[in-house]
Amino acid sequence: MFRIALKGILGRKARLVLTSLAVILGTAFLSGTSVFSATLNKTFDDLFADVFKNVDSYVRSSQVIEADFGQEERQRIPVELVDLVAKVDGVTSVTPDLQAFARIVGSDGKPLGSDGQGPPTFGGIFMESDVSLWTIAEGKAPVGPNQAAVDQASAKAGKLKVGDTVKIIGQAGSREFDLVGIASYGDVRSPGGATFALFDQPTASEFLAKPGFIDAILIAGDDSVSDTELSRRINEVLPTDSKTETLTGAEITKETQDQIGSALAFFGILLSVFSFIALGVGCFVIYNVFSISAAQRQRENALLRAIGASKRQITSAMLVEAVVVGIVGSAVGMIAGIGLSQGLSAMLRALSIDLPSGGLTVPSSAITQTLIVGTIVTLASALLPARRAGKVPPLAAMRDTAIETAGPSRKRSIFGLAFITAGIGFVSAVTAGADTSLLGFGILGVFIGVIILGPVIARPVALFLGRPAARFRGVTGIMARQNSARNPKRTARTSSPVFIGVSLVVAVTALASSIKGQIDSVFSEQFKGDFAVSIDSFGFGGLSPSLATDIAKMPEVAGAAGLGLITAKLDGKGQYISAVDPTAIAGIFDVGLVGTTYADLTDSSIFVKDTRAEKKDWTKGSTVNLTFANGTSQTFTVAGVFDGENISDYIINKSVFEGTNIVNFDTSIFIKKAENVSEDDARAVLDKTVKDYGQGELLNKREYIDSRSGNVNQLLGLIYGLLFLSVIIAIVGIIITLLLSVFERQRELGLLRAVGMTRQQVRTTVRWESIITSLLGAVMGIVLGIGLGWVIVFALRDQGLTTFSLPVSSTIFIMVMSFVVGVMAAIYPAWRATRVDILNALATN
Amino acid sequence: MTSPTLTAAASTSGATKIYGKDDSVVYALRDVSVEFYSGQFTAIMGPSGSGKSTLMHCIAGLDELTSGSAIIDGNDLSQMKDKELTELRREKIGFIFQSFNLVPTLTADENIRLPLLLGNNKGNEEWIQKVISTVHLNDRLTHRPSELSGGQQQRVAVARALASEPRIILADEPTGNLDSTTGAEILTFMRKAVDELGQTIVMVTHDPVAAAYADRIIFLADGHVVDEMTDPTAERVLDRMKSLGS
Ligand SMILES: Nc1ncnc2c1ncn2[C@@H]1O[C@H](COP(=O)(O)OP(=O)(O)OP(=O)(O)O)[C@@H](O)[C@H]1O
Ligand SMILES: [Mg+2]
Repeated sequence: MFRIALKGILGRKARLVLTSLAVILGTAFLSGTSVFSATLNKTFDDLFADVFKNVDSYVRSSQVIEADFGQEERQRIPVELVDLVAKVDGVTSVTPDLQAFARIVGSDGKPLGSDGQGPPTFGGIFMESDVSLWTIAEGKAPVGPNQAAVDQASAKAGKLKVGDTVKIIGQAGSREFDLVGIASYGDVRSPGGATFALFDQPTASEFLAKPGFIDAILIAGDDSVSDTELSRRINEVLPTDSKTETLTGAEITKETQDQIGSALAFFGILLSVFSFIALGVGCFVIYNVFSISAAQRQRENALLRAIGASKRQITSAMLVEAVVVGIVGSAVGMIAGIGLSQGLSAMLRALSIDLPSGGLTVPSSAITQTLIVGTIVTLASALLPARRAGKVPPLAAMRDTAIETAGPSRKRSIFGLAFITAGIGFVSAVTAGADTSLLGFGILGVFIGVIILGPVIARPVALFLGRPAARFRGVTGIMARQNSARNPKRTARTSSPVFIGVSLVVAVTALASSIKGQIDSVFSEQFKGDFAVSIDSFGFGGLSPSLATDIAKMPEVAGAAGLGLITAKLDGKGQYISAVDPTAIAGIFDVGLVGTTYADLTDSSIFVKDTRAEKKDWTKGSTVNLTFANGTSQTFTVAGVFDGENISDYIINKSVFEGTNIVNFDTSIFIKKAENVSEDDARAVLDKTVKDYGQGELLNKREYIDSRSGNVNQLLGLIYGLLFLSVIIAIVGIIITLLLSVFERQRELGLLRAVGMTRQQVRTTVRWESIITSLLGAVMGIVLGIGLGWVIVFALRDQGLTTFSLPVSSTIFIMVMSFVVGVMAAIYPAWRATRVDILNALATN
Repeated sequence: MTSPTLTAAASTSGATKIYGKDDSVVYALRDVSVEFYSGQFTAIMGPSGSGKSTLMHCIAGLDELTSGSAIIDGNDLSQMKDKELTELRREKIGFIFQSFNLVPTLTADENIRLPLLLGNNKGNEEWIQKVISTVHLNDRLTHRPSELSGGQQQRVAVARALASEPRIILADEPTGNLDSTTGAEILTFMRKAVDELGQTIVMVTHDPVAAAYADRIIFLADGHVVDEMTDPTAERVLDRMKSLGS
């Protein structure tokens, strides 16, 4: 029997290729993402191992506030500590380190890098030493307040050369420097596509951070003692009130690698979620191909049964085929995945998320995972069709048709409806107040129900969708319509991947448009001004608070208020805290104060977001203790609550920072123009002021609100990119099914050609069948996707998402696209259909 | 009774068809020159493998002759491209095969009109109605092939072959799959189509009784035309077949 199975595989090469194709695609994504993640991790690990290669000890502040998403804000340390460390026995070299926001302006006056997107723009200290990875490639090292060096890539991009004057934007504003050197980083021109402006230590501290302060000290020893011993000695000489900690080179390497690792882990999880979605979609295609091939072999199998093969032998012959296809397909998929991972890097690069180019890492776990998962999935997908093949009655050998004809059963309808009802039940229970986690069951129930019900609804829906084709494309349209409905199970299985892909795309789009709508309406309501200055500096500082006060003084301006953002520890956890000037902000930006006014915000009071206050059980008069980044603590009294969204949960008065060394910046400045000044005039002067200052961007109200939804668009782009692979699998699924149908309908096609159907008409028929199938999936996907989007938005209502917006234009776009997909998927199968040899087709009895 | 007024609806001259290459060549047709006259019912007979189907296919433009020519209604098939051949089949030729004549997704009515529908041609409605009533299909028009008996399916096939008023109808063993009563019914219809509707039919058959419905029989053996008979009866055909040694 195994011989028969193997003969069966080799005998139908086309079928083998098509079945394997489904497996290859499903597993390629799986292997591609794991290879990609592994390569990425390895690249960063290597990068940091390199960065700290010669570092034996590392001194930094022990004061740190950790906020969400692994962000942390660490205090800086005074530069005087460098001299103390240098005197320690066994230390050969010490290097002050600083990394902060800086932006280099190219010779054409345009700042290098992009605002808020792409690789970061940095500034730091240049110092020739054993531990520094920077070396001067051209010119000399910068010395004094007027000299700077830039990395080679930036010099090239900005058309800057030694001897030029270069404008650089730093924390202290924008300034012109003499470009005295061009530096290279290790053996690359710039690390990971970031731009770097380098200065001597005093200049870097003053211009980029705070005079006399640095991030850390990098230390190299003479190797007379172990790194641990060296670190211990260093730690001893550092005064305890300097609040520092000393790490060994190995420790800081490991810590940095872990930090990046956990940031990447999120990305890795995201990737694997989507790769499993793609694999799930692939399962449908595999299942479909096996079902069709079982149906096509019905007569052959019946004949085998008639001459004495047992049910089990028929079933196991098919399972043997599945195992072979599974192993071969996953192996090829594994290799294809490696190519895919390279493609993924290219895709991210296109989104200007530049990655350091490292070698390729193919972990053995990825290989075993792909092979095992691929084979099991194939086997599992073939199980049902194989069992069905075994059940073929020997009498079927005598029958004329080898086509699946069984219509959907009643049991199917009942099961499907039961799942859908249960799913809707869960969802409505949640809307009525049950726990949100039940939504997951609800969604799953509806999806499974719809998939089970697919064959039942496929026929009527396909007939309905095919109506225009039948009406306007004459007999070819009629045939296409009937073809798509003649085998409802097959049509349903073929359109299921499209359905899943489309529903996810629609749900994500609905979610995104709801978020954008929310941001839009909230800001429109809150923002009473005309202009805003916005900045995105990767958490490295922001706009100097003096800019807001300067703008407020301008005659063209009625008022301007900066919105500051700091992190502080509350109950031991890092939190974002907004800081405002209550008199400036009143009338310009309304955070939705409830039963209180800005006037109540003194330097010892705090406003709390209503939902947060409720959770913490705080009322007016409760006290809150905040620990700032410099280590000092202060107690605040809750002065009132606010209900505005899109701002942090706490608001304090900026005057709190007066006379302290707490670093604070504005993330936005809101501006109201004077009444007698025209919008254009106000814009002109403000624009000049902001440009002169060198940081931030002046936007009008509309532009500002749109810029706030920019992040959503970026995330949306990434998710679309990942879902795109599922969509590709869905398209290939359609292609495979159409091809198998074309093979199956050889005779019919031969007959049609004999009685006068032109090749063009054959093509039209296949094309419309494909379009109808694709539209069927799209329509079901859109309906379910909108439902799913609504459910997700509902689940996020506590996060402040209160309105659901329907993505109308995207929905229309998806319908158009699925039409296009139908046309494209049909190209090859239609061509094959026109190549049918009429005589051969008629001869096969 | 070959009268000089007869004109050829289709003809071949020196038709030769060779299959295969080198040592394994098969001569399916050797220098066949025949004429099929308008308004006549011609049967082609001969032992299995004698080239009957091949001859039909070459006349229909479904297959290419190795040498010689096939002409339908004045058109030399060897000079025509695929698209022209397709249109020729659609407009000038009607087909009836042994089985699997109908498109399963179309109704009987749509199947009958299929060549016309494919050509975006309304056809002659009066004629179509006449054909449909001649083959007694009026009450079966909305049914799909799977809902029709084998005999009904063949009747639909006959009606389809007639619907576009072709120059010639080619039938390859149209009754081969039917019992004798149903077969007789179909043959009667074909006879009627010639006598009453003035059609031209060429039919391949193994059955002397079926062949007796024809006006003229052409005997093939080994790719050659070996004999011809006009106004046949079943006994004469049987005798002739015996003498030809098949
Ligand atoms: N595609 C082909 N390739 C090779 N040889 C072929 C091919 N088609 C037909 N033949 C050969 O040509 C010869 C004539 O075949 P044809 O089908 O015309 O016979 P037939 O008279 O119709 O026979 P039957 O009564 O069995 O239908 C046969 O010997 C056959 O084997
Ligand atoms: Mg034959």
